Amino acid sequence: MRVELQNVRHVYAPGTPFEVEALRDVSLAVEPDEVLGIVGGTGSGKSTLAQHLNLLLEPTSGRVLVDARTLKGGELRRRVGLVFQFPEAALFAPTVEEDVAFAPRRLGLDEDVVRQRVRETLELLGARHLAGRSPFALSGGEKRRVAIAGVLAMAPEVLVLDEPTAGLDPATREDLLGVVRALREGGTSVVLVSHDLDEVAEVADRVCVLEEGKVRAVGTPEEVFYAHPEASLAPTTVRVVAPLREGRPEVGRPVRFEETLAALKGLLEGRG
Amino acid sequence: MRNRNDEGARHGGPPVVSCDNLTFSYPGSERAALSNVTFELRAGEYAGVVGPNGGGKSTLLRLINGLHRADSGKVRVGGLDPATEPYLVRRRVGMLFQNPENGLVAPFVEDDVAFGLENLGVEREEMRERVREAIRAVGLEGYERREPHTLSGGEKQRVALAGLLALDPEILLLDEPTSMLDATGRREVLERLEEWRGARTVVHVTHYLDELLDADRVLVLNAGKLVAGVSPERLVFDPDLLRENRLALPTTLRLAAALGLGPAKLRTPEDLASAIARKIGSEARAR
Repeated sequence: MRVELQNVRHVYAPGTPFEVEALRDVSLAVEPDEVLGIVGGTGSGKSTLAQHLNLLLEPTSGRVLVDARTLKGGELRRRVGLVFQFPEAALFAPTVEEDVAFAPRRLGLDEDVVRQRVRETLELLGARHLAGRSPFALSGGEKRRVAIAGVLAMAPEVLVLDEPTAGLDPATREDLLGVVRALREGGTSVVLVSHDLDEVAEVADRVCVLEEGKVRAVGTPEEVFYAHPEASLAPTTVRVVAPLREGRPEVGRPVRFEETLAALKGLLEGRG
Repeated sequence: MRNRNDEGARHGGPPVVSCDNLTFSYPGSERAALSNVTFELRAGEYAGVVGPNGGGKSTLLRLINGLHRADSGKVRVGGLDPATEPYLVRRRVGMLFQNPENGLVAPFVEDDVAFGLENLGVEREEMRERVREAIRAVGLEGYERREPHTLSGGEKQRVALAGLLALDPEILLLDEPTSMLDATGRREVLERLEEWRGARTVVHVTHYLDELLDADRVLVLNAGKLVAGVSPERLVFDPDLLRENRLALPTTLRLAAALGLGPAKLRTPEDLASAIARKIGSEARAR
């Protein structure tokens, strides 16, 4: 499925002294089978945008379309799953299994389908061994995986993750990026909202840069990052390669770590 | 076994924070969150704390701040037990929580920043001045009358930091203070911390080793045990210690190491680019 924002504007607390315009005329599509990275500074509108993709927030003006049609919020939320920042704050059930089963059960699915979904989802997140545990006795990284499983168990066609790796150790972060790749391979589009450009560089097929509620750039990672190689808008790899490209175009525009390493080795060994 | 403790820079004077065989378990948990943790911090020391999720980093801060009571062993802050004297200890200790949501309490940003000072009974004019200065220092001018719940995660993190700046405590406990910040925001926070160096005692929990390259000492906590207390240089050059504790080098150092360039002085991506350019230049001349 394709989710499209058309000329979306969002104003918090309109008509009050606290009015804030968080999104200004944003047009952007999440294409089928892609990982779309949403990046931008603090307060640039990333989370507000994420919450429009399943109409948790309604646009003040503009439209949200799914495959060129307008859907009601309830139907949209069954097809687009949203994982909030620090989602483990919403864990509530006595066991991990019950927590993950909550949303699919509310969809009215048969109990054996629910069980199946719970098992598969925990498996995908490497959390099957936690099924019988209390979610409150888990570590931060484990809780995060369980909270994500709770949304994935609804089998959404698009999964929106808002800062999913904040507070995770590097190895757990890496595992979660592996889950993002596996989901995409399995036909689920993923929208990854992140302030960490290095992780977006590793998994995104396309990147959208937000600035003060507007889309500043959107395109493939190499297009976007090499167009703006400054510290605040480019991952480490691009910041290393960009100054070396002058007079050495053969180095190319690598973005991912392994590509970058290969390109730099090539440079150092004197081959293009 | 190699001795991996008590390295790094030394500061004189009595310890301001000390833990002696500190052991703590969460109710209902079969495994201790911290077991037999022993270390001392001197006034002015900058200590990093790293290690896997569930290793005990946040728990350690909460024990130092008196939010939990030790099962056995001792924790002392300026000679006081934080579990029995939490109010006296918290006059000296400021804490930033990992999830910025958990630290914000007041209806408006400026009230939130002032909250700690109000509790200490600071005089009104001085309080205004300190709040204004702190808000400016974290780049949130114009946000004074915003409601914290309308702010982004990164902005909330800045508000929480401003509250700490206004309070200016002797001892700072920072639980992943940059976890929600972009590159610019992170750099600003780290510069701010740098200004405190030596004048304040800092305990800085993070998953980003590049934030600790100038720390006096890095404590590594894994599965509740203090497995190392080493200088940052020692840590980044010890692949076993990194791997065993699920730590990763920052991308710049990882690239440098994979290219056979010693990671020593290469802090930023721009440093690495210059080192590569110099190397290519000298090799081209040699051919």
